[in-house]
Amino acid sequence: MFNRAEIIDSNFLTFINDGKFPHAKSPIDIPGYRFNNHDLISIFESQVLSRHMDLKARLLKEDGKCFYTIGSSGHEGNAVFGRVFSLNDIAFLHYRSTPFFIERSKLVHGATPIYDTALSFTASSEDPISGGRHKVIGSKKLNIPPQTSTIASHLPKAVGTAVSIDRARDLSIKERNLKEGSIVLCSFGDASANHATALSAFNTASLIQHSGGHVPIVFICEDNGIGISVPTEESWIEKNFSQRNGIKYIRADGLNIIDLLHKTTLANEFSKTKRQPVFLHMKTVRLLGHAGSDIEVGYKTLNEIETIEFNDPLLHTARIMIDKKILSKEDIINIYENSRMRVSQVFDQACTRPKLNNSKDVMKSISASNIKRKAPSLPDEAKRRGVFDKEYQRLNNKNHMAGLINYALSDILLRYSNTVVFGEDVGKKGGVYHITANLQKQFGARRVFDSPLDETSIIGFAAGFGHNGFVTIPEIQFLAYFHNAEDQLRGEAATLQFFSNGQFTNPMVIRIPGLAYQKGFGGHFHNDNSLAIFRDIPGIILGVPSNGSAAVKMLRYAVRLAYEEKRIVIFIEPIALYMTRDLNFKNDLKWSFEYPTISKEIALGEVIKYGNGKTLTIISYGNGLYLSLQAKKEIEKKINKKIQVIDLCWLSDIDIKNLLKLIGKCTSVLIVDECRRSGCYGEGLMVDLQKASKANLNIDLHAAENSFIPLGESATSTLPSKDSIIEAAIRMLNA
Amino acid sequence: MPKEKIVVICPGRGSYSRETSGYLSKNISNLSKKFIDQIQANRKQEKSLGPLELDLMPFKSSIHMKGENASTLIFACSLNDYLSIDKNKYEIVGITGNSMGWYSALALGESLSNQHAYELINTMGSMMKDKIIGGQLIYPFINDEWKTSNKTKKNIMHEIKKANAYVSIFLGGYFVIGGDQKSLDILKKRLPPIDDYPFQVPYHGAFHTPLLVSISEESYSKIQSSNFKKPTIPLIDGRGKIWSEYSTHPKDLYHYTLGTQVTTSYDFTRSITVALKEFCPDRLVVLGPGNTLGGVVGQILIENSWNNIDSKQVFQLAQQKDPFLISMSLSNQREIVSK
Repeated sequence: MFNRAEIIDSNFLTFINDGKFPHAKSPIDIPGYRFNNHDLISIFESQVLSRHMDLKARLLKEDGKCFYTIGSSGHEGNAVFGRVFSLNDIAFLHYRSTPFFIERSKLVHGATPIYDTALSFTASSEDPISGGRHKVIGSKKLNIPPQTSTIASHLPKAVGTAVSIDRARDLSIKERNLKEGSIVLCSFGDASANHATALSAFNTASLIQHSGGHVPIVFICEDNGIGISVPTEESWIEKNFSQRNGIKYIRADGLNIIDLLHKTTLANEFSKTKRQPVFLHMKTVRLLGHAGSDIEVGYKTLNEIETIEFNDPLLHTARIMIDKKILSKEDIINIYENSRMRVSQVFDQACTRPKLNNSKDVMKSISASNIKRKAPSLPDEAKRRGVFDKEYQRLNNKNHMAGLINYALSDILLRYSNTVVFGEDVGKKGGVYHITANLQKQFGARRVFDSPLDETSIIGFAAGFGHNGFVTIPEIQFLAYFHNAEDQLRGEAATLQFFSNGQFTNPMVIRIPGLAYQKGFGGHFHNDNSLAIFRDIPGIILGVPSNGSAAVKMLRYAVRLAYEEKRIVIFIEPIALYMTRDLNFKNDLKWSFEYPTISKEIALGEVIKYGNGKTLTIISYGNGLYLSLQAKKEIEKKINKKIQVIDLCWLSDIDIKNLLKLIGKCTSVLIVDECRRSGCYGEGLMVDLQKASKANLNIDLHAAENSFIPLGESATSTLPSKDSIIEAAIRMLNA
Repeated sequence: MPKEKIVVICPGRGSYSRETSGYLSKNISNLSKKFIDQIQANRKQEKSLGPLELDLMPFKSSIHMKGENASTLIFACSLNDYLSIDKNKYEIVGITGNSMGWYSALALGESLSNQHAYELINTMGSMMKDKIIGGQLIYPFINDEWKTSNKTKKNIMHEIKKANAYVSIFLGGYFVIGGDQKSLDILKKRLPPIDDYPFQVPYHGAFHTPLLVSISEESYSKIQSSNFKKPTIPLIDGRGKIWSEYSTHPKDLYHYTLGTQVTTSYDFTRSITVALKEFCPDRLVVLGPGNTLGGVVGQILIENSWNNIDSKQVFQLAQQKDPFLISMSLSNQREIVSK
């Protein structure tokens, strides 16, 4: 009684034999409808194959051979999308899209959708999309980047990709992946349409369209009326989305493939020709519960379950086939049983294929793509002179960090024609700290542009543009604001190459002004001093420069890495050091630097060492480094010995071996970390050094208190200071 | 006991040789007799030798390898073998073929009646009767152990392109290269000799290349599209596309057969790969005389590590124990599947 899979399976055959069909909910004769009977049968075949994959997956789950049972049953209508949309239209699909996948695969001769899906269901290392890392619907050949999202968090990047298509054409981006005139498809469920991330995407699409921009995207809401156990009120999706400014709403009957073909064609043509967003609302049902482990009788009556099951999309399509005399009852049963046999053969074979069985193989695709490309050559002087204009003469003058990063960005935009800079106020205003000043004037508003006030859409844009060959340099205005966008990095951008086995990438260098010490300005939200949000995300790179010269060289390397190895780099710019010119006393200009020669870089793992003294080694970065250098002089005076200070520059991928070499015979190491003690990078460094060192190292961590940053005079009271560093150093040496 | 699922592979016309003389007569069964008789009658009417006469007479390249004769002979052998398969024990879940074997596949899958298939085969086989357009070279990209490197493959592809030739067939560990004689002569000099390769196949034109556009165009006036029906068993073509029993549009099948397939590369490797992955049969059965496709299919199995077959040695061992690949030309294997 409770095995609904068996019941649905046997009901299908019984009802077909008895001629007992659910009533049509919409007409099956539509004027102007352009598809032939062969198209309809092809769709039905994909629907049936997908159903049998769901049924077989459940059987294999019982034997412990299949690891994912969220299926497509009830959503078989989406096979129609695989038939209507072109292979050029990149598709970000949710997890109930196997029918789409099968139907689209017919556009690529030699594709093997059943076998590939079976490998994915059974987590085989031969799964061509994720290499056994996740059950995802994706394929490089089919132009379907894999999504692991269950909460519509793929929508912001889908919008970004949509905007990138015409942008890439206008800018003649040679690295672009998507064809001119193509559109983006993006599917999700009714429940996840409520998610903040989804709403961010709809809002951004609407806003850009409203402002005259091109957003060729079809949002496909596959509304099955329920999110796990919570029903979606019947009219909610329609009422919520039919009146959105700038997004055309089209409703379709997901149980009637003829209506769906017709409406999808309208959506496709509208979005393709007008380059505008469409919300295609497909009403359907959900069969077999949310997933294999979900027992529907816990929250639905048997009568409700049976009513929904009787509206099985396969029965609806079968009725259409028989009413239109396209297939006979016997044909339908043959298709159904042949598909069962075929799926069973294929899945049983897939179970025998190898699995990932060690961490090295699992982690092969954590960070880099399989294909590396060489960065464009350095720009010539004539071009640079043209871009910098009057500023060209001043490049050799000593300057602060803000000015130098600004120069570096000009050179980067000049060298890499596929880079774009965007974020809040980065356009005309040039950013709240003027780091992006003049860039829009130099490179135009197509490459340097203001984003809406929405960090989710900023990082979503970065990922989306990345799918289309761009290397993006988004700015998040303040570190604390990044928390609004966290999932776009953590759940989406950072996982893309992992779950696609390096086949899809979204390279980006995210610039974030941040950290504390702003002399009382702004309070916590402009002085946030925690980088913990980045510390545990596998594969991403984090850099924090401490002065303008290092910032330029690191930023150049970051962009090259993003271009050549498709990496994701987080670049934290210490706001308090932006305009700092002096180190020890007023007008000493020891923290002002000339703009480094254009070829100079600081590579990942490289550090900067100040001094050679072996009495004490201070390791720090950012503001902490600046303060440590101030402290160095006084510590040396107090102990009458020389010490050394090391600027880490890069907080991820620290070369511990090299660090130990630089520490050399020095046995006391003080790590100065301006971030909150809990979760700061210093914590990890301390452990790593201790573990790797063969000497008996005396290591201490001097970090900020576990506090938020207060306003006014007390703004730095919880942070390491020059004096507290001196105190910590002396205490350590005296111990 | 459930039936074993098999995919049937129809050979191209190059598989009949001196060594296989008498194959048809030796194996002819009552089940196929009436169809073979029909072919005999057609040939007689055309004042040509029938397949049985050809099969029984001493092998002569100038007779047996000519398109119009070789095609008929191979078709008759394939048809006879196919009808010999024990349908009580084996369920045929897919049919594919190599090159001209595609025409046989159309017949066995009932997309064409036997008579229409004969007409197609005879027409396509005779269109270069007076003058063969271009030719074909065979060249391996594997070593004796059936191992290869992508670099070797890439280098050969580069030479083919440079000589203005084409890959006519992707055939397991071999390229069948099509082109005009000038291009083939260049390649004969450029490609390092390996045993007898590069080997030019006598009486073969530049099949599956753009050189045959005129033949393709002409064939449309000789073959009716109405001859084509939906297959009754899925067919896998030379691109790896599956033609299903229900959704196949016969007009598309007609255009593929007379157009695309004639003028673009035939990817036998891909068609077998798709057959393996999308049907996962219990066995593959190669019809017809000779065993040239046996090695080729073995190489494709190795490329896919199918059933953990990852080397020539493993393949040969597996074949001795319980053959996954049945060649009907080998009597001990024929016994396994035939009635």
